[in-house]
Amino acid sequence: MGIELKKIAHVIDEQYAAETAMLREIKAGSYTLDAPYVKLNPYLIAPLTALVCFTTPEETEAKVVVKGKEAEGDIGFSFPRAKEHLLPIYGLYAETDNTVEITLGTGAVKTLSIRTEKAPDSVHLPTGVKCVPGYLGGKVVFLSPTSPASTAAYDYRGDVRWYGTLNFAFDLKRVKNGRLLIGTNRLLLPPYNVTGLFEMGMIGKIYKEFRLFGGYHHDQFEMEDGNLLILTQDPSQGTVEDMCVLVDRGTGQILKSWDYKKVLPQYPTGGSGSQDAHDWFHNNAVWYDKKTHSLTFSGRHQDIIINIGYDDHELKWIIGDPDNWPQEMVDKYFFKPVGDLSRFDWQYEQHACLVLPDGDVMCFDNGHWRAKRKENYVKARDNFSRGVRYRIDTEKMEIEQIWQYGKERGAEFFSSYICNVEYYGEGHYLVHSGGIGYMNGEACELPPVAYQDEGVRFNSITVEVKDDQVMYELEIPANYYRAEKLDLYCPEDALTFGKGELLGSLGVTEEFTTVPDLPAGGAVPEKYALKMAQESDRLVIKALFEKGQMVMLLLEGKTTHAYFVPTTKRPYLAMCVGTFLENDERAVELPISFENISGDYKISLIIDEYKYDTGVEISI
Amino acid sequence: MLKEITQTEYETLDITAPTLVEFYSKTCGPCKMLGFVLKEIEKSLPDFPMYQIDFDANAELKERLGVKGFPTILLYKGGAEVERLEGLKQKPVVQKAIESLF
Repeated sequence: MGIELKKIAHVIDEQYAAETAMLREIKAGSYTLDAPYVKLNPYLIAPLTALVCFTTPEETEAKVVVKGKEAEGDIGFSFPRAKEHLLPIYGLYAETDNTVEITLGTGAVKTLSIRTEKAPDSVHLPTGVKCVPGYLGGKVVFLSPTSPASTAAYDYRGDVRWYGTLNFAFDLKRVKNGRLLIGTNRLLLPPYNVTGLFEMGMIGKIYKEFRLFGGYHHDQFEMEDGNLLILTQDPSQGTVEDMCVLVDRGTGQILKSWDYKKVLPQYPTGGSGSQDAHDWFHNNAVWYDKKTHSLTFSGRHQDIIINIGYDDHELKWIIGDPDNWPQEMVDKYFFKPVGDLSRFDWQYEQHACLVLPDGDVMCFDNGHWRAKRKENYVKARDNFSRGVRYRIDTEKMEIEQIWQYGKERGAEFFSSYICNVEYYGEGHYLVHSGGIGYMNGEACELPPVAYQDEGVRFNSITVEVKDDQVMYELEIPANYYRAEKLDLYCPEDALTFGKGELLGSLGVTEEFTTVPDLPAGGAVPEKYALKMAQESDRLVIKALFEKGQMVMLLLEGKTTHAYFVPTTKRPYLAMCVGTFLENDERAVELPISFENISGDYKISLIIDEYKYDTGVEISI
Repeated sequence: MLKEITQTEYETLDITAPTLVEFYSKTCGPCKMLGFVLKEIEKSLPDFPMYQIDFDANAELKERLGVKGFPTILLYKGGAEVERLEGLKQKPVVQKAIESLF
């Protein structure tokens, strides 16, 4: 059987085609309040959204209310005066004849019924919700998955009011223009680094993809001028998750970078229980603090939160257990605990650091291993995770723990990876323990997604605490990277038409300069299950190879481009997102960027002693 | 000159002269590819001594030399190790390391 080169359109192209068709329909019709145009899931990836269009003879306001299962579940929004009304509908329930009420400024009312389809099984339903009805107002809690699940938003009852059908990665954040930033669904570097970030409207329209040569992982932060801090790495340096870049919001170009190797000693210095030489820091969060004009980063694999000058790139301070660090660093950068030391705990393998308006620092203290020396490591069953707030005095280099939530819940709240905290005001926090897992009834020692075992039981507990009272608690049987409480409707998130943009660059995939001269082996044997897909900006090959096989991909045309295909996987000690994992451990995936390549090529594969012909030709 | 040797033969090497020693494994794709890189280099430097040692079959030696993984290239001069390259390297990188020995 021949090997096929599958052509995969970018979601931006698919959405543009759908939008063009939709606008043609709208233009061809004559839609009124009584007989409006209704398009469910207009941008193909958000099935609980719709667009309602109609015209009115005079300019008038329009108010939309998606009726809830009870009054507190209503979700509504008022749109400004217009004659041509384009009303996004958010907050529909799945597999429901939804009632949507539209009221004009003139007093005219139209009640629509919008039928939605059943959500896929990957949209997990809660196993527990505790909340005072109406407490969240019109807000919902977005969860982005790390175990097999979909990104979805849950209301105060735990009902799903939004979900996405793309395999989005990492945190979802709302930026000043009302849109959402989230990792793309395009894998770049296994196991979870993706090509970059999507900027997406709540309706599901992707306005921009910011692509990065080193890919995107974990976290991003919008600066005051709109430019983006994005966590990445430089693949040519042989290490990962140790670099942050500032990306121009308009062009996607990298303006500035911070390389932590320049300010920190690496493996094995300060190593947490999960550190290796390749992933020595494991940066999982970035925060910019305007008051101090500095950047704060969380490094899971050194159990530290560090602060670096934005302009001078110099290390200012380190929050973390100083045990096992060089004394000269302890003296210069680490804090000394003060206050009630009986309540003080350091954080270990933490996530989601943030700097509060008063300079306090919060994070999710996963507590994984909870010690700096192997002989003192704490078993998961005896451990805890928590949200914690520290007050730091950078003059005296003193630190005081002033709040925590989670220690008292013990192992049932323990997440060895991922998770976040949010600050909503004094005494008002969100603590999301999204990486809970059990094997044979016991808390997992490693991230549950790393086991790839059907016996793993996933769990996620998201808690909102106000003045030490739990106001909302959501429990779902899956793992979720972070939780974000958001309004579905946002005045700034206005739908605009036109094709989305692919910004930045995937860079040039490193070629291998030595090409072995080997005998022809004929067609590629079927056992390798070779698949190839051509996207607008890259070629992706997937195959099954045994560990240790020598594999090289050749593009042979007027010039030859050769790429080494790694078949030996590193042990992943931090499987932060498991949604890209294949079930077969032989699975290999290699993307090849089209940057600096053009022309017609024949695709061949070198596998061990032979050169095989795929029979596939590609035009780039 | 590219030759496979054992620990016993390693002990007899004259590493006062510029020498390259590569630890490899038969179960390692990058090692196989690095083997082709070394063969390429051998064409232009036929007299330069390059030796390959099986990582798995020479455990005591790799422990003693602190070789943690494969492929690993050790470069010797004046009786001592002067540079170490870990992982698969491209031909220009290996060539540059060899040139620095002279």
